[in-house]
Amino acid sequence: MSYLPKPYKIESIKSYTDTVKLFKIKCNLNPAPGTFVEVSIPGIGECPLASCSHNKKYLELLTKNAGNVTSSIFNLKKYDKILIRGPHGHGFPIKDLEGKNVILIAGGTGIAPITSMINYIEQNKKDFKKIFIYFGFRNEKNILLKERIKKWEKEFEVHIGLSDDPDSHEHEKGFINKIIKHHKPTTKNTIALLCGPEIMMSVATKELNTLGIPNSSIYWSLERRMECAFGSCGRCQIQDLYVCKDGPIFRYDKIKSRLDNENSNSN
Amino acid sequence: MQKILPKKELPKFINNLIKKHQVIAPTKNKTTSFQKISDFKEIYLEKLTQIPAKQHFQPENETLLEFKNNKAIENKGEIKKTILFGLRKCDLNAIQILDKVMYDPQYLAKRKNTILIGLFCENPDKFCFCNSMELVDYHDLFLFPKGKNYIIDVGTPKGKTLVKNLKTLEKEIKIPNPKNSKKLKNLDIKKNYKDSIWKSDADKCLSCSTCTIYCPTCNCFDIKDNLDTNLKDGKRVRRQASCQLKSFSKVAGGKSYRDSRLSRFKHFVYHKITYYKSIHNRPMCVGCGRCLRVCPTKIDWVKTINKLPKKK
Repeated sequence: MSYLPKPYKIESIKSYTDTVKLFKIKCNLNPAPGTFVEVSIPGIGECPLASCSHNKKYLELLTKNAGNVTSSIFNLKKYDKILIRGPHGHGFPIKDLEGKNVILIAGGTGIAPITSMINYIEQNKKDFKKIFIYFGFRNEKNILLKERIKKWEKEFEVHIGLSDDPDSHEHEKGFINKIIKHHKPTTKNTIALLCGPEIMMSVATKELNTLGIPNSSIYWSLERRMECAFGSCGRCQIQDLYVCKDGPIFRYDKIKSRLDNENSNSN
Repeated sequence: MQKILPKKELPKFINNLIKKHQVIAPTKNKTTSFQKISDFKEIYLEKLTQIPAKQHFQPENETLLEFKNNKAIENKGEIKKTILFGLRKCDLNAIQILDKVMYDPQYLAKRKNTILIGLFCENPDKFCFCNSMELVDYHDLFLFPKGKNYIIDVGTPKGKTLVKNLKTLEKEIKIPNPKNSKKLKNLDIKKNYKDSIWKSDADKCLSCSTCTIYCPTCNCFDIKDNLDTNLKDGKRVRRQASCQLKSFSKVAGGKSYRDSRLSRFKHFVYHKITYYKSIHNRPMCVGCGRCLRVCPTKIDWVKTINKLPKKK
């Protein structure tokens, strides 16, 4: 287990909002869908970012300018070098998804790991049955990967909900659970994959439960502070599980009681 | 295998080791801690050290990488042959616990080049409860005083090389455990997580993180970059961190996942007693009592666990 990162070249940068950019990096790491890499800038630090692509020639990272390291990544230009180590963690349970309907739910930048999964599905379409995609964003301006969503709409059932945009004509207004309720997915032989803020995943999960999808068929992608990425530093621990090495994708029934326990300690 | 060393020959034995190795042993200065010694006389063995031996393997700051001329170079770790002498059974077990969670090249290099020599603990104090913590034998050599001699238990081939000139004991003896008055009566506290009893301890807790600094098994760390004054080169270092601080679980954007003092306090206790055990099949606590000794508000979580109602 080494902390030594390797340098890679940025091929292109696309800006989506004031705080979200997509970096396309030339490399052959090809992380499994749902896993992450540690990205770093010498002298500034490291941060874990979910892979947003499934491709042998490049790696895409959807980056939100939210902290020390990401704000430095934001200053990088095309052809600049970026340091990466990984991939780390366990991704989506691809073998368990084969031959099943798949529901993909994402909120905000949670779309990143979900995109890596959609890329995989596009490349291996015959392995999957029906695909349902639900995205939640704050408003029209905050919709990420717009051009790709347009493309996916032609292939899959895609629904977008805007939680805070009364003026939108193109998309529905409402939180993600409402959108799922309005456009019910197939619930038999179905597995749901979620990524987003925990509060969003928890209301979406409740809605899926109501529709008859059990917690054992629901997977959450969790965010925690991951410093070492191999289960040593203790920063990402949720009770006895390490998000970096046991996750970041967890079957919800396996993580639920632990999250409930930790959330029971209010001040 | 067990060897015999007359007690009066211990200084000579240690001073011989100092000739070929860096020897680190308990010393007393302002505090008692494990330090490099140049003579047996510097060793202080009366009490358990205040500062645990982990500082040798996992120092407060450890360089992982160096950035020079746009290149990252890995620090391969320290390679000086070292002997750690005077570790008590709790200290030795703490090293076993660290060995199972630390696996970066810097730690491994230090571990590989260190020989552990234990010493029987004759004077546990009122905070010690090591006998409740499922301690195992984990040493290269272990000294047990018997009459005018030390019986040296040889744990590994690495240890054997140091005692090959000593007389072998024909009939091996069983080395007993130290005697404690304090006990942790219940290690099965998984179902008591939501018990309200934790609140009174958490209310006393200042989140000062002293317990985790003095704990011999607290290994949690931070990875931090230090930039040189030329703003180009620098170092990536592993720094001691503590789960008792709010910033420990804070992610970009500002959310802290263990926001309340109660959640952080419980994380410490549960990590020591149940979380680690569910992965590595032994508690992470070795019962050295250092956390109880140093707590500024005298929180005694062992007493609290003993008061917990049994749940099935």
